[in-house]
Amino acid sequence: MLEVRNLSVRADGKDILNGINLSIHRGEVHAIMGPNGSGKSTLAQVLAGREGYEITDGEVAYEGENLFDLDPEERAQAGIFLAFQYPVEIPGVSNLYFLRAALNAIRKTKGQDPMDAIDFLELAKKKMANLEMDSTMIERSVNAGFSGGEKKRNEIFQMSILEPKLAILDETDSGLDIDALKLVSHGVNKLRDPDRAMVVVTHYQRLLNYIVPDFVHVLAGGHIVKSGDKNLALELEEKGYGWIEEAEPTK
Amino acid sequence: MLKDRSLGEPDWLSECRRDAMVNFEELGFPTQHDEDWKYTNLTAVSTKEHVIAEVPNQKLAIDDINSVGFEEVDAHQVIFLNGRLIPELSCLEESSLEVGNLLNGQNNHLVLEHFAKQTDTVGNSLAALNTAFFGDGIFIHVPDRVIEKKPIHLVFVTIAEQVDQFTHPRTLLIAGQDSQATVIESFVGMGEEPYWTNTVTEIVAAENARIQHYKLQQEHVKAHHTGFLFVDQARNSNVTSHSLSFGGRLVRSDAHVRLGGEGCECTLNGLYAVMGDQHVDHHTTIEHAQPHCKSNQLYRGVLDGRSKGVFNGKIIVRQDAQQTDAVQSNKNLLLSRKAEINTKPQLEIDANDVRCTHGATIGQIDEEAVFYLRSRGIQSEEARSLLTYAFVADILENLQVDGWHEPLEEMLFDWVQQAQVE
Repeated sequence: MLEVRNLSVRADGKDILNGINLSIHRGEVHAIMGPNGSGKSTLAQVLAGREGYEITDGEVAYEGENLFDLDPEERAQAGIFLAFQYPVEIPGVSNLYFLRAALNAIRKTKGQDPMDAIDFLELAKKKMANLEMDSTMIERSVNAGFSGGEKKRNEIFQMSILEPKLAILDETDSGLDIDALKLVSHGVNKLRDPDRAMVVVTHYQRLLNYIVPDFVHVLAGGHIVKSGDKNLALELEEKGYGWIEEAEPTK
Repeated sequence: MLKDRSLGEPDWLSECRRDAMVNFEELGFPTQHDEDWKYTNLTAVSTKEHVIAEVPNQKLAIDDINSVGFEEVDAHQVIFLNGRLIPELSCLEESSLEVGNLLNGQNNHLVLEHFAKQTDTVGNSLAALNTAFFGDGIFIHVPDRVIEKKPIHLVFVTIAEQVDQFTHPRTLLIAGQDSQATVIESFVGMGEEPYWTNTVTEIVAAENARIQHYKLQQEHVKAHHTGFLFVDQARNSNVTSHSLSFGGRLVRSDAHVRLGGEGCECTLNGLYAVMGDQHVDHHTTIEHAQPHCKSNQLYRGVLDGRSKGVFNGKIIVRQDAQQTDAVQSNKNLLLSRKAEINTKPQLEIDANDVRCTHGATIGQIDEEAVFYLRSRGIQSEEARSLLTYAFVADILENLQVDGWHEPLEEMLFDWVQQAQVE
């Protein structure tokens, strides 16, 4: 589904990713771990199409297509979803309006009819209940005045509505207390599907107790320095990132 | 009921006009040397010989009236064309209000008592010019304790068939004790030639009166528009005035409010969206003369192209006006690098127990928010439209006229689309 080959990325004159290789197939959950500044969030942002990054080398194929030929909205329409580390507040635009517009944009590319407001509201309420979200939240402005936990839940809620093929979760666990973390993880796990791939970017192993990955990759200094299964995360938790950084292959 | 226009002008009116003309000649046109006109250059108006607008050859049908929401809003309608009242297009039956032509003001002691009383005191030459030249003007009296739910919609249409015509629309609204009413004034222009509208509205709110006033400015893009609103509020009255400004080449809208009794509340909201070479200037003055009054100002502007905006909000708190609560906010969104805004709060406070807050911001579209929307599948242009609309949404939320919200929303969406194409 997603083939990242030798991806190198530069921003503000600094090399951030230095030759990333990653192969993700449908149904798989990949965790990307790493210390602060290792480039994990950059990888997530570049995949979603944020501007301000220079691709200096390598390529990314998404379902056989060159990902970099697609605008951010085209990527979303093709099934890529990024759960933001810092969801943006948009006063004046209601969640309801925003998310229905998004869903209908995606439905349009699939050749489906737009969903009307009544059906959409019903769908949204059902999905919100799964995440134990207050149903009045749908009327509120997107993320405006939401607590950190509410914002993260809102991201997963959006994901559950948009039903992406490839979901990238950028530090969805950071700033969450354990109850919120369980809720969010539960929401994510409900979306695990043999046809859907997930990339879970996190600093902490804690999240992976709840969202159990098939593969774990450790990123340091812009490289993937180690890959393994879920046990790698546990080992990392025990020994700390220092262990990995010491083991970092010299380039 | 609307009364026929009288032939000769009665003494009271000739006297008003004469005084006003003297006043205007003394003061002359404002120039950029006047602090209040620093950013608005009126020479395009003052250097031209304007003539009083004539009745156009083109017939005006009710369907031609293109002010936003004219059809959708259920209202008592009074239509003016080139400064003249058109009785056959106007409809005021079944209203509990007393309505008449200001030219017949001698029949009404309220007109004699209140007409031009507020304009006289402020040394405003253009308001004086209006007094000197207004044609048909409208007088609306909401009697004591009358609650009129249906808005009164005054539509001032200019069809400019000849170059440099001017009209001087004039409105006097007197709200009796415990009364309630909503008045909309719409300004629209058709035709090809430049023209000038110079309008004055005086509102007198008696004790505990509640008035909603709306000014919708959609003049032709070649037009000049200067407008002056005067509000005099008595104890516990509540007046809200919204200025929605979209049209015109050079536009100035002033509001002077005097909170002259205890416990008054006044809200001035404004929304302006301009592009191309448009210039829009809002000046407000709210005078807190008595204790325990509240004033609220919320102005939002969106500027594109090489357009220019001005906002100047003056709050005066007199020595006796303790416990004043005054809030002012002006936020501007610049959609182009060449658009310009000058915004200035001005506070003159002579009391010591007051709460006055003001804030002004100038910003661009939040690119983070654009990316967020795009990452969910929304097209870039649509994302920008949505964010622009969201910026002014709270002004629209405050409009309390049934049926108006949707057409205005549509108009704004169209405006944003057009701004992007430019």
